[in-house]
Amino acid sequence: MLLRLCFANQTDTDIDKKKQVSVSLHLSLQTQSAPLSTTVTCCTMLKSTFTPMYWFLAPKPKPQKLSSNLIKNTFSNSTPNVRQNSSLKQNPIINPTSAYIHLPFCRKRCHYCDFTIVALGSASTQTHDDPRVINYVQWLCREINATKMEEKPAPLQTVFFGGGTPSLVPPSMVSNVLETLKMKFGLSESAEISMEMDPGTFDYKKMQEMMLLGVNRVSLGVQAFQEKLLKSCGRAHGLEEVHEAIDIVKKCGVENWSIDLIASLPHQTSEMWEESLRLTIEAQPTHVSVYDLQIEQGTKFGKLYVPGEFPLPSETQSADFYKMASKILCDANYNHYEISSYCKNGYECKHNYTYWKNNPFYAFGLGSTSLIGGLRFSRPKKMNEYTKFVQNLENGLINSSSDNNINSKDTATDVVMLSLRTARGLDLKRFQESFGSSLVLSLLELYKPYVESGHVVFLDEQRRTIRIDDTDNSLLYETNSERRVAYMRLSDPNGFLLSNELISLAFGVIDSWKDYPSALQEAT
Amino acid sequence: MFYKNIINGDDSRDGKESPNYLLNLIDTPGHVDFSYEVSRSLAACQGVLLVVDAAQGVQAQTVANFYLAFESNLSIIPVINKIDQPTADPDRVKAQLKSMFDLDASDVLLTSAKTGKGLEHVLPAVIERIPPPPGKSDSSLRMLLLDSYFDEYRGVICHVAVVDGALRKGDKISSAATGKSYEALDIGIMHPELTPTGILFTGQVGYVISGMRSTKEARIGDTIYHTRSTVDVVPLPGFKPAKHMVFSGLFPADGSDFEALNHAIEKLTCNDASVSVAKETSTALGLGFRCGFLGLLHMDVFHQRLEQEYGAHIISTVPTVPYIYEYSDGSKLEVQNPAALPSNPKQRVVACWEPTVIATIVMPSEYVGSVITLLSERRGEQLEYSFIDSQRVFMKYRLPLREVVIDFYNELKSITSGYASFDYEDSDYQQSDLVKLDILLNGQPVDAMSTIVHNSKSYRVGRELVDKLKKVIDRQMFEISIQAAIGSKVIARETITAMRKNVLAKCYGGDVSRKRKLLEKQKEGKKRMKRVGSVDVPQEAFHELLKVS
Repeated sequence: MLLRLCFANQTDTDIDKKKQVSVSLHLSLQTQSAPLSTTVTCCTMLKSTFTPMYWFLAPKPKPQKLSSNLIKNTFSNSTPNVRQNSSLKQNPIINPTSAYIHLPFCRKRCHYCDFTIVALGSASTQTHDDPRVINYVQWLCREINATKMEEKPAPLQTVFFGGGTPSLVPPSMVSNVLETLKMKFGLSESAEISMEMDPGTFDYKKMQEMMLLGVNRVSLGVQAFQEKLLKSCGRAHGLEEVHEAIDIVKKCGVENWSIDLIASLPHQTSEMWEESLRLTIEAQPTHVSVYDLQIEQGTKFGKLYVPGEFPLPSETQSADFYKMASKILCDANYNHYEISSYCKNGYECKHNYTYWKNNPFYAFGLGSTSLIGGLRFSRPKKMNEYTKFVQNLENGLINSSSDNNINSKDTATDVVMLSLRTARGLDLKRFQESFGSSLVLSLLELYKPYVESGHVVFLDEQRRTIRIDDTDNSLLYETNSERRVAYMRLSDPNGFLLSNELISLAFGVIDSWKDYPSALQEAT
Repeated sequence: MFYKNIINGDDSRDGKESPNYLLNLIDTPGHVDFSYEVSRSLAACQGVLLVVDAAQGVQAQTVANFYLAFESNLSIIPVINKIDQPTADPDRVKAQLKSMFDLDASDVLLTSAKTGKGLEHVLPAVIERIPPPPGKSDSSLRMLLLDSYFDEYRGVICHVAVVDGALRKGDKISSAATGKSYEALDIGIMHPELTPTGILFTGQVGYVISGMRSTKEARIGDTIYHTRSTVDVVPLPGFKPAKHMVFSGLFPADGSDFEALNHAIEKLTCNDASVSVAKETSTALGLGFRCGFLGLLHMDVFHQRLEQEYGAHIISTVPTVPYIYEYSDGSKLEVQNPAALPSNPKQRVVACWEPTVIATIVMPSEYVGSVITLLSERRGEQLEYSFIDSQRVFMKYRLPLREVVIDFYNELKSITSGYASFDYEDSDYQQSDLVKLDILLNGQPVDAMSTIVHNSKSYRVGRELVDKLKKVIDRQMFEISIQAAIGSKVIARETITAMRKNVLAKCYGGDVSRKRKLLEKQKEGKKRMKRVGSVDVPQEAFHELLKVS
């Protein structure tokens, strides 16, 4: 395997990914390399060289046994029950039941965005005849079909269309993708099918068509309720389109939908932020995602602004925005179930929970990252490299899942990092089953002072807060279940606000964790 | 650096009488830290070549070395070198030599080692003007040990000058300083490599390999004699044990590297016996060593060798000098480590003394004002002030060693654009008003950061230390108070407010690896920190403190 820089897909959920975060340049294990080229050129090249072919001709089933690594087993897929944390069922085979689909097209690039996108031009609201889109969707379907898997795949429980702006893609093409997925893996009747949609890219008819195809969750990229802010961050839509989009979603009767907002935009005042939160609550979505603007290198904002300096809010202001969101949304009966996610009871995003539980998931499309057999695999983010990758996949030259050797330290690190982002926190019983009690004890020891300072919360089996006013260290072995720590989580909002600090402390503990081979045995 | 390069010139010449002369040339270190070694080398010599740069003229080191040679009653041959340089002004330098040292201009040799001009006069002058070694060849053996170094394959190699008698291979010899006995396994002269001769006669300078294990046994200035000699051998004068003037704590940057550092220091002291080493434990920095050095340069060289030759990453504490504290019950305490001095002693301190030095400074006259300002800031006391010639000034000052130890030379160089030269010799202890300054982080004293300062400067130093720390310590999850205190009295305080927010707002499937890398980086950063109570202190903090005077 060779290490290379690659673009990670952003599978995010309820949001328009362009938002804050952005590209994730990261080192990942990857087996493919290809020449670089700009997005624009790849598209042109595709236009001229791609010969249309039918996606259903492609499948070449080459069943491949996934190795039954112990650690992997502990993260085997489980029923997509939101209430369940890192599932540790001892299934011998792990089949992903979640799929992320990357649809990279946007009308234009937002000023904060460093994601893998293909800008079509501001005029492009109709894409049904755009060859760049047509060709891409064909490659995407070929990739799905060329994916190796178990003989009996489990039907998908969640599908997430992320982008880019998936709502720019014509419903007929979305239908192609869904059909391909259905044929390849099967699709559960009750599957959650989410789509990121931007105001101004869909009308009532398109929304209804999407719903007919099975899309049952919408993540609406509103970002702000101020014309001035939308404009200054380079959004392709204005405030009017925001209100229209909300009306369409509500009129179509989408039951499960999210409004995505960005906090700490340049020139944003607390009055504006309060207004955005108020208008969001008035729209009554079942889910709200609140992202903090992150200034990424290479973006327009990256060139213009320095974090913490005017016109960006100061660190203190920005922390206040975060607290304000937590307070106002929780008062409106939204649960703060993850660092940047809020929902009404029962409306957690199931697809995102797959990520946070470190469960496996497929990913298809430009720059996307999958997690199969414990291996994170990032696809090329340049279009011509991506098409080569798909060809190699079809020829059996590459395999995007892992064969073996997933380091238990790495897995422990991922589990801690992801689960501490959630309100549910880290399930110590399951964690101990996988990694042994010594690591759990070190973590308890590590976080004790932060329980006192109010950044971390220890919970018992019934999720009642445990006070640690005495010095005894047997929190884990306490026979009285009311005194035994079953979960640890970061507090809201103070712990969440300093999550990087707190989680990296845990990384240090895992790093110096010496006896993990015995922990492995324990896991058997 | 530590080891003098000794060249044995076997110089056969066709003079009138065409005799052969055996000349020994010893290159001495110019730096004051090694003045004791220089004095021992001079003790083995009969004359010196005092080399002065034709463009730069007399420097502070020239003055220091002249007086060392003069006091040892050696014949002095002044040489003005680099006369090929366009800026060379040998006449001016001759005038300086006359006015400073009363050296006759007609005795001065003019040379250019680069072009070879004038070099032919040097060795004849040596033979003409420098007397042969005295000494009684018929009396029993007395040798001066003037240098030693450690060879991986052959053990300790001693450089000796035979004062009286003769040494043959296989002789049993003893050291006057340690009383230990050895066998002269191999002896010879430096020609310039080690050349075995089997015998060393009176007046010769050569080497002896005697199976010593460590250079600690080879005390420079020691007298070596025949073990069997029946008469009581009178040791040669001038022997002094190494005197440590500067102390600092050395800690491994990563606490787990203690063993590696231990090993590196052991190996290094094999070769440099003049460093004293004792184990030290600091609550902030963990296990480490308190090392004593001959001076500042010696300390710097030792640190550098540790890092370069042994790859050791170290944190060094602020260098300190040995103070003497006297308490009301009459007890005296020598303090080599500020942390060892009680902040609130049970006994009243009656007096404290600090070591001083006599500093010699030579500089162009236009810098006199700023240099005098610097010297008085450093609590200097003027002893002498004179003009070498119309442009150069010569000054002597008594300075507390502490003031010299911390960043003095750098500052002197920067205010004089590098034109001042500086040298110093150890002097007496003088009584002084000294206080211990503690640094507290969140109320907890950091032992590795405490220093001893003069009372008059304590407020300024305390303020400076606190400001520096505020700059280098990052915001953390809790508020951090940084205080400087004398005893229980806080004299300066700064607060680092708590970090408000450090959160990655988004983390989905494709982001996991990237976010993780970011947090891994943050973790690595924490690993490099030293934890003091609940506060993470970056290593730079310790380095920064070295620069506060």
